Amino acid sequence: MSEVQRRKYSQEQKNAIFDGEFMPNIDSMYNFAYRLTFDEDDAKDLVQDTYLKAYRFINSFEQGTNAKAWLFRILKNSFINEYRKKSKQPAKVDYQEVETYYNSDDVDYQSTTDLRAESVKGMLGDEISNALNSLAVDFRTVIILCDLEGFTYEEMAKILDIPIGTVRSRLHRARNLLKDKLKGYAQHMGYDTDEEEN
Amino acid sequence: MDMNEETSESRKLKCDDTSKCFQLLESILDGEIDNSKEVLKEKLAKCQPCFEHFHLEQAIRDVLKTRCTKQEVPTELADCIRQKIQEIK
Repeated sequence: MSEVQRRKYSQEQKNAIFDGEFMPNIDSMYNFAYRLTFDEDDAKDLVQDTYLKAYRFINSFEQGTNAKAWLFRILKNSFINEYRKKSKQPAKVDYQEVETYYNSDDVDYQSTTDLRAESVKGMLGDEISNALNSLAVDFRTVIILCDLEGFTYEEMAKILDIPIGTVRSRLHRARNLLKDKLKGYAQHMGYDTDEEEN
Repeated sequence: MDMNEETSESRKLKCDDTSKCFQLLESILDGEIDNSKEVLKEKLAKCQPCFEHFHLEQAIRDVLKTRCTKQEVPTELADCIRQKIQEIK
């Protein structure tokens, strides 16, 4: 993902990279953009901007490396730098804000909920999706990258420009927050939780 | 990976180091640990909290992957992008 080493692709090579490596990722790109913005038009704009940037800076892309991770990084940066400022979405709790409560990479792995695997398995797509969407954007992002898109910790670290240790701890916190939401749904829907049994 | 076959009788009810164990289990589920099969098998066979944590985390990953349906991409988006690229070529 090095941007220092510039290449000089011919027009033909550029077209081949764009059509063969960039465009096949459009579904994942749109899905990511939509889950960041919650708005169809904003998501379209964000994806389009990302592809235009990708084309403009195509000489920074090293052929044979992970095009999807490279594109996701551009999309994430566009979202932070441009979209977030003009967002129609009211500002949600920012990770920076949340971070003051957990001011280190050390995570307490003991913090578990009494949510059960069985009740999670019985939940509907909408409930899972709503729980994910309700998380602050930085927590939502790591879950999307890891669980929906299957990126490795190392790829996520590059996409987000954060150390791997931070990826791991942020993911863990994100999943804990998600578990709290799911637990809320489980209780509301009358799914089986330990709390109700006791 | 089906670890449900194991009986729970032989598992200890309290984990010695949940912090270390849960982090390991989560890394295994995220595919970050190579050759983790044996370690995992032993942990899940011996420790009830690890067993429960693993299955909950696995269930959450499964539902996220399978039930968070992909947003349908607007059909005109790809064409629109190609057209814009043509303009800047």
